[in-house]
Amino acid sequence: MSEPFLQVNAVTKTFGGLHAVFQVSFQMNAGEIIGLIGPNGAGKTTLFNVISGFYAPNSGKILFKNLDISGKPPYKLARLGIGRTFQVVKPFAGLTVLENVVIASFVKYPQRRKAEKHAWQILEMTGLVDRANVQASSLTLAGRKRLEVSKALALEPTLLLLDEVVAGLNPTEADRTIELILSLRSQGITILIVEHIMRVIMNISDRVVVLNFGQKIAEGSPRDVAKNPEVIQAYLGEAPQ
Amino acid sequence: MELLPQALIDGLLIGGIYITIAIGFSLAYGVMHIIDFAVGEWIMLGAFLGYYLNLWSALDPFILLPAVFLAFFLIGYLIQPLVYRVISGKKGNPVLMGLVFTFGLGLMFRGSALTGFGFYSHSIPSAISQNSFFLEMGGMFITIPYVRLAGLLYALAVTMVLHFVLKKTNFGRAVRALSQHREASGLMGINAKRISSYVYGIYVGISAMTGVIIGSIFTINAQMGGEYSILAFFIVVLAGMGYLPGVPWASFLLGLVQSFFLIYLNPSYTLMAVFGILFTILLISPKGLFGRGV
Amino acid sequence: MSRKYLLLILFCGILLAVPSIVRDTFYLRIVTEAFMWIGLAISWDVLAGYTGYLNFGHGIFFGVGAYTTSILMNLCGWSFFMTLPVSALVAAVVAVIAGIPTLRLKGAYFAIATWALARAIQQMVLVASFTGGPDGMRLPPFLHPGFFYYTMLIVVGGVFALNWFLLEKAPFGLKVKAIREDDQSAMSLGLNPTKIKLQAFLLSAVPAGILGAIYAYWITYIDPASVLGDMVTDQAVVMAVFGGLGTLIGPAIGAVIIFLFKTYFWAYLSDYQVLYLIILGGVIAASVVFLPNGLWGTITSYRQSDKALKHEPVSSRSDDKGDPHV
Repeated sequence: MSEPFLQVNAVTKTFGGLHAVFQVSFQMNAGEIIGLIGPNGAGKTTLFNVISGFYAPNSGKILFKNLDISGKPPYKLARLGIGRTFQVVKPFAGLTVLENVVIASFVKYPQRRKAEKHAWQILEMTGLVDRANVQASSLTLAGRKRLEVSKALALEPTLLLLDEVVAGLNPTEADRTIELILSLRSQGITILIVEHIMRVIMNISDRVVVLNFGQKIAEGSPRDVAKNPEVIQAYLGEAPQ
Repeated sequence: MELLPQALIDGLLIGGIYITIAIGFSLAYGVMHIIDFAVGEWIMLGAFLGYYLNLWSALDPFILLPAVFLAFFLIGYLIQPLVYRVISGKKGNPVLMGLVFTFGLGLMFRGSALTGFGFYSHSIPSAISQNSFFLEMGGMFITIPYVRLAGLLYALAVTMVLHFVLKKTNFGRAVRALSQHREASGLMGINAKRISSYVYGIYVGISAMTGVIIGSIFTINAQMGGEYSILAFFIVVLAGMGYLPGVPWASFLLGLVQSFFLIYLNPSYTLMAVFGILFTILLISPKGLFGRGV
Repeated sequence: MSRKYLLLILFCGILLAVPSIVRDTFYLRIVTEAFMWIGLAISWDVLAGYTGYLNFGHGIFFGVGAYTTSILMNLCGWSFFMTLPVSALVAAVVAVIAGIPTLRLKGAYFAIATWALARAIQQMVLVASFTGGPDGMRLPPFLHPGFFYYTMLIVVGGVFALNWFLLEKAPFGLKVKAIREDDQSAMSLGLNPTKIKLQAFLLSAVPAGILGAIYAYWITYIDPASVLGDMVTDQAVVMAVFGGLGTLIGPAIGAVIIFLFKTYFWAYLSDYQVLYLIILGGVIAASVVFLPNGLWGTITSYRQSDKALKHEPVSSRSDDKGDPHV
């Protein structure tokens, strides 16, 4: 068997004595979609920030293709092929949609002309071509979320971390985004996705990792996890005695 | 060695004044997230108001403090909506615009003061300006000018009152809520604009009063603002920007650094030493000595 | 397109011919100094407008350049042109030292630190002996107005062209803007913000150092108040903000207007020089309130709305800039 694509080994991140993420471990194989779920404040976004290099873990290790990446700055991880989106979308508001994506393309295409050509291709794929020359700040929420994905994709990542890219979209937009995610998988991109909408997670994930109060409480196929009493309890609050 | 107690005492006395240079400024940063580049100019303008009131009324500068505070509280209160408009603007980068705006205000104040008050230095004599008391401890002599002691008492009084207001009153709770959660406190029905106006007024008022104290201890002139701005900046960075409990410690430290340079080394190097410390803090612990800045 | 180039060539031709047309030294001097201020305003804007970091000590680099050249020419007997690269280098070193601790932090820290550094360096020069202290330094006079006109023209033209290429054409400009807009997002896209900000700081500081060097040789006398005082920074800031941040044309226009106004003002109201401070302060405060995009930004936005291509209003940006770690 080949080595796992991404290994999260007993990662802990604390803020002022509180464990935001505690001793979390899981593995991803190349080409998988893994759903990361849990109630609000379970530590999903913190874990994302640790994997993408925005926080250094207090303990534990993250191995990406067998390379220890824990504590490396985000820009180095981006160059290694780890793309991420932000739950609170962060467009470069004063620049055009195309320019937003061109900036991300520079990692693989340092020349402006080639980066621009690449950015057009990305926008084609994410369906933002007709908005390419408007200011990013004038996009709708759905547009901004697409832009967020477009920017991450322009890195030509092999691992993509998607933080709530579906939440807040109407059903049509949501379906388009799900389609996009599935097509990315078929291109061989490994995806870790945080999402509140269960319908999405359960439909597209190969496996699901459940966090509660910063700890992993379950892992498995969507169907198994949905039946797990501990998971049900975490989502419904205190279970009856 | 003989001068050590004197250096310590001087440092503490002057450090007290520095608290009031920086505490309003730090409060305004905590609540409004504005770096007021005119901080030293408010001190200078307050000092000149004190100077002219003293000339005109012959009242002791310490008695004039409430009047100076009221006048500048009002000015700050009235100017704040303009500042608020700049820093909450939708165009450009509001934070930068706030910096540039207060920078412009500072230039205007300095220019106006130079035009109106001239280049000469003045002092604001107090009845206690001439007297000192002397201590003798094991063969070492310490001189404590009354006016400096009064300055320290003034600073402690201001700090206590501010502490009381922030901790015990409804207004204080609202201010602290505002500085911790800007968006959330807006939702809780706190009128952010009005509270910011009061805070800005308090900050400007305290700075102006401190100008009067400085005038009764040292001298004042229309160009003094920059020097005090630097001191205020130094203290808030050292304390952690917006972290009020750090201000007294940073102020006393600055006072001690200054008095040691004055007594043991060349005072011309003080500014460089101050900058050296500032630079080191930024390099090692940008959130200040206590790691609590915002 | 070709008409644009023709105009550009014509414009360059006029600039080159100025010394033969303008015979009066007084006016040639004014044009030369106007160039200098264009260079200072643009170089300040490289950091402020494009990167979002306000340098309230830009005059440091001008002064450091001026002093380096003066010291090398006076004490080491170097020729003027040999000193220029050293002045540029010294400015760069100061920028790196000042930039490394502060450019990682929010803009407010940078603004404070540069302002404080300016004061500290001024004091250092006042105390040191090899700088002549408060008496300043005198340089071997070289009274050739045409020489300084062309030197200033070449340097400022070069700075303009270099910035235009790097910031408007090359990838560097987009990277810098990305960091200005959102450094978290920029980091997740492979950009190292501190490194890029430091590069922008160098692009801002080095030209100021070279301009200071030329100024020293031109004026033949420098002292801490004239080249390291607040005035250099204050004027560059006002020119750039008034003209329009984040563009190259804006600060250039701002520089010409403010400088010509000052020259006129000086000539007629020399008894009231401090009034100039009030006017500078008033102009900048009013620009922030009434022309937040500066003169040039306002003109171009009118032109754009005339074309009526924009559909949506610019939505609030503050709601995108929530807690970076959420």
